[in-house]
Amino acid sequence: MTRAIRWLLGAALAVAMTGTVSAQTIRFGAILPLTGPGGLIGTQQMRGIQFALQQINAKGGVRGHQIEVVFEDNQAKPDQSILSFNKLVDLQHMPMIFSAYSGPTLAMAPLATRKKVLMVNAGAQADALANASPYLINTLPTIGDEIAVLSKWLVRNGKKRAAILFENSAAGISGRDNYVKSFIAAGGTILAQEPSQFGQTDFRPALLKLADSKPDVMLVSITAAPQQMAQQYKQLDLKFAVAGTTFLQDPLLIADPAAEGFLHTQLQSQAPAELAAEFKQKFNVEMEFFVRQYYNAMNIVATALDKVLAEKKEITGENLRQAILTIRRFSGLIPVEFKTNTATVPFDLNVMRGGKDILLEELKIQ
Amino acid sequence: MLLLQLLVNGLVTGCALGMVAISFSLVFATTKIFHVAHAGVYTMAGYLTWSLITHGVPDALAMILSVAVCAIVGALIQNQLYDRLERRRATPLVVLIASLGLLAVMQNIIAAVYTPNILQFPSPWSSRMVSVGSIRLNYTQMLTVVIGLLAYVATVQFTTRSILGKRIRAVASNPFLAEITQLAPRSVYVYVIAIASALVALPGVLVPLDLGLQPYGGITPLLTATVAMIAGGVGSISGAFVVAVGIAVLQNLSLLVMPGEWSIGVTFFIFVIFMLFRPTGLFVAR
Repeated sequence: MTRAIRWLLGAALAVAMTGTVSAQTIRFGAILPLTGPGGLIGTQQMRGIQFALQQINAKGGVRGHQIEVVFEDNQAKPDQSILSFNKLVDLQHMPMIFSAYSGPTLAMAPLATRKKVLMVNAGAQADALANASPYLINTLPTIGDEIAVLSKWLVRNGKKRAAILFENSAAGISGRDNYVKSFIAAGGTILAQEPSQFGQTDFRPALLKLADSKPDVMLVSITAAPQQMAQQYKQLDLKFAVAGTTFLQDPLLIADPAAEGFLHTQLQSQAPAELAAEFKQKFNVEMEFFVRQYYNAMNIVATALDKVLAEKKEITGENLRQAILTIRRFSGLIPVEFKTNTATVPFDLNVMRGGKDILLEELKIQ
Repeated sequence: MLLLQLLVNGLVTGCALGMVAISFSLVFATTKIFHVAHAGVYTMAGYLTWSLITHGVPDALAMILSVAVCAIVGALIQNQLYDRLERRRATPLVVLIASLGLLAVMQNIIAAVYTPNILQFPSPWSSRMVSVGSIRLNYTQMLTVVIGLLAYVATVQFTTRSILGKRIRAVASNPFLAEITQLAPRSVYVYVIAIASALVALPGVLVPLDLGLQPYGGITPLLTATVAMIAGGVGSISGAFVVAVGIAVLQNLSLLVMPGEWSIGVTFFIFVIFMLFRPTGLFVAR
């Protein structure tokens, strides 16, 4: 009898504690490539969210609620992303999920629409993401805007004949299509285009064929193994310029001497020295581009959550989405504006020199 | 220039694929086991060498040690898995599924230990370049061609001249007769898989030395090697090697006339047509 009473008391205490935790802690999900060819970038993205979370929670959370983000590794694979999405949404009832990479994000978008779960993407840029789901918020512009400006800059600077190396994936093909459209519109000529597979590391046949068309510049739209591409470009002693978008923002590529002189556009996101130092102290690495992107995205979500809580609404994907679109302008680390569900952000043109990514020029969407 | 460089690239890839093909052919022709876990041994060789090199073992010694370890692992797979299944009268399908399971286990262990990120060998010599006219090759590519050709010649010589090689061919030709004549097919199977595992460890090290290590990188070479083995004539070492080189060269040269998206599809379509006219393969095993 005594044992039964003890058991009941214990169970009641456990239920009470669970209730307390769920009342105070708000849980979101993040489905990112933490391992695999995209693992390095995915880890940056995770650290960005973690860093923002630490700061938000240290200040008492959002209206007294601590925030927790549960991370799932999708290895940048769409099928794995679907499994993770269902796990986080159906089993753990999460109203918001961070995503990255175009293929996985596009695969999850119909589920987000059906289940009314907010997805926040701060890393993928395929054009199809703009209209993939009303519940998908992109905190960075699609690749088309970047490529249009990059194409004009290249043609203006005498690189009028281009060859395209693209990845046979949603993001890669979107980039290829935009290069063809924008480079020709800017007055340039596309001489050749060759594909590679996601995760493939042998770029030599494609590089050789592109080199044979004698371009002034090779336009790159690959999201994985850019370091191996650069090494093989160097080994083959190719002389044309290499230009790409934010996809080339890879720390290993930038540090590799083979990538000397590579050009790439990059969304503007400078971290103040104090913030960058605090990050470095905590994680012992630099506050890289994708760290800043996801740090910013976490703060956008926290601002939206604050509005939802202030209005005493239920924390749902729909209400969080409405809050972001109503607030519209966010002046965080990266000032963004949501005229639609895809943000507009200014960006830079960088060049890789001496193992560093150096600002060459500020570019504006025209 | 493009034609020559693509041809040479095809030969390099072909020599690596050829080593996978002859090793797989050796196993399949003798044991009749579709040894899918061979792709796991291929992958393991690269990671093992990488670990040894990063722990300060000289590159050449690391490669030799990896080849030796792979041979032991191969022998263990035959002795502890396939042989046990055979004693329990498992069907070929069950053995295939067991092999697939083993491959999945090996790949998962490798991914868990090393992460699925692309790893690079800390061996600067491997990417040093040599120019011959307009052709540019790095040391690893040249080593792949040399080792590939040597491995092919050595395997042919071994299977035709050595006593163990003759025993292997006898067992492959008629395992029941071999049992009666006390050729001990079971121990021959262990030798065969050990030798094949040592052979496949060579491209398993050389390819990632050039292109980087990935835990799931063994499947594609194994599939291409299987096609080469069948199109070359099951049991023919020369057939497997020649067709593997042919496939790689054709894939590279096809870029001269078509975009890269089509090269794999068209290459294999040619082989499907070829098999329709010569279903026993290019070479008939003797």
